[in-house]
Amino acid sequence: MVNEEQKRCSPRKQKKPLTESNVENSNTLFSPRFKTAAALAGWDEEALLLASLVVEDTPDRDSRTKKRFVLNSKSPHTNSRRKRRVQRSPHSIPVAVLNLDDEETPKKESGKKKKEKKTSGNEVTQGSKVEGSELKEKGSDDSSSNSALPCIDKLRDELSCAICLEICFEPSTTPCGHSFCRKCLRSAADKCGKKCPKCRQLISNGRSCTVNTVLWNTIQLLFPQEVEARKAASASKVRHTSAASNIIPEAAFYNNLRNQSTERASGASSRGMSTRRNNMTIEDEDAAASVRRFRREIDGQSRGSRVVHVHNNSRNGTSSTVRARTRRGITSQDEDAALAQRLQREEFMQAFRGTSQEQQSSARANVRAMALRMRDRRI
Amino acid sequence: MISGGGGRSSSTSSTSSWAPTTWVSASGKRIQREMMELNNDPPRDCSAGPKGDNLYHWIATIIGTPGTPYQGGIFFLDIIFPTDYPFKPPQVIFKTRIYHCNVDPDGHVSMGILKDGWSPALTITKVLLAVRSILTNPDPYNAVVPGIAHLYLGDRAKHDDIAAECTVRFAK
Repeated sequence: MVNEEQKRCSPRKQKKPLTESNVENSNTLFSPRFKTAAALAGWDEEALLLASLVVEDTPDRDSRTKKRFVLNSKSPHTNSRRKRRVQRSPHSIPVAVLNLDDEETPKKESGKKKKEKKTSGNEVTQGSKVEGSELKEKGSDDSSSNSALPCIDKLRDELSCAICLEICFEPSTTPCGHSFCRKCLRSAADKCGKKCPKCRQLISNGRSCTVNTVLWNTIQLLFPQEVEARKAASASKVRHTSAASNIIPEAAFYNNLRNQSTERASGASSRGMSTRRNNMTIEDEDAAASVRRFRREIDGQSRGSRVVHVHNNSRNGTSSTVRARTRRGITSQDEDAALAQRLQREEFMQAFRGTSQEQQSSARANVRAMALRMRDRRI
Repeated sequence: MISGGGGRSSSTSSTSSWAPTTWVSASGKRIQREMMELNNDPPRDCSAGPKGDNLYHWIATIIGTPGTPYQGGIFFLDIIFPTDYPFKPPQVIFKTRIYHCNVDPDGHVSMGILKDGWSPALTITKVLLAVRSILTNPDPYNAVVPGIAHLYLGDRAKHDDIAAECTVRFAK
């Protein structure tokens, strides 16, 4: 029993110094590139060290024969990471299967050895499995970054547009086989003649620039950040230009509304009062606002104040109709004033009836929705 | 910085009134990128960079190649970018006087690639290399100073002497 115990402990003891030396060497063990890759993946150095320690501690990650070889020869592990990875990675997952085999095939092995294997094996299999896969992941990550890094600059050069010198955005390929951003190629064809900027061969028609789909997809896969930045830039550009051309879209929108309402008012002046009710449609923000104001005041105060407000609003009304009149050049001021007063009164009546409350709220909602839609379209 | 550069260049070089700000920034971006590449990988015997804070106005130097009458001379050049730069060629002007059949008395360099032969795929690095190459191999058949071209074709030795003398006088 004691013997057994010793035997069981012995391999660990042999391993201990090895692992410690490994820990000491671990700083040199991880290449700086791997470290940066690990940092990108969110592993801190301590975790990496720990992982390597645990993995060093697991004797059962190799195949049985290998392990036996290690035990028997007692040769020290090599510190070369690549060698270890090569040994480890293909076997890291089927470890459990091998262990089961061990139990089922008790051949040639002495009882002691088997027991030792079982105890040390079972306690670690799970851990080693997890760690092994994790390490494999790290390894693959490492290798991929290694393989990607040296050629990524060349790729960047290769895939950048000779006109804007940036990564091709929606690349278009000329008949002579040179690729540029679609926009760049189009402006080059417009301003510099229909020649390939690179080889001066004639481009049959610079107008029909079709995007080279394969190339574009490749670029999107290889340089997602650049493509995103470019997309964002172009989006903001569009917004800027629209803002510049439309002054301020909101203002333009409301200007438009006001024009509509004045037109409506002038229309009402010619057609009479009955049309006015139909004309008080959802878009009429000004009217809605005045109605709202009316209602608030009515709610708060007595009826006596009504006249004042009607008068007040009639003045507003005249101003709008005057505006309309100056545009159309008809009707006298008195007529206008009377009409405006009538209109206001009617508006007021509508508001007072209370039925228009839903109308108003729906009107407001509609206006808001329209404004939002306008803004969305602008973006 | 970009818009500032664009604004100033609009006063110095010809501006198309339609050019919106986006185009200025596109050319500015390209010029910035060229500046970066020039800094990372400068061509031999050449240097270039913005004169002040104006991205569209550069100053460049070319050191006369050994073995030519211009050897040892340091030639300063102005480079003025148009606002629609990659699509229109930059203007290259010798600020240092030079005796050369392809450089007019005002210093304007006449080269195919700076006129009709311009391509938006050309960069300032390539332009500087081309200028350096015409210092080594003048093109007398497309000369702007016919006298110098005649001398170059007729009496090469005398041409080289005068050129070397001018280099010593003005470019050192």
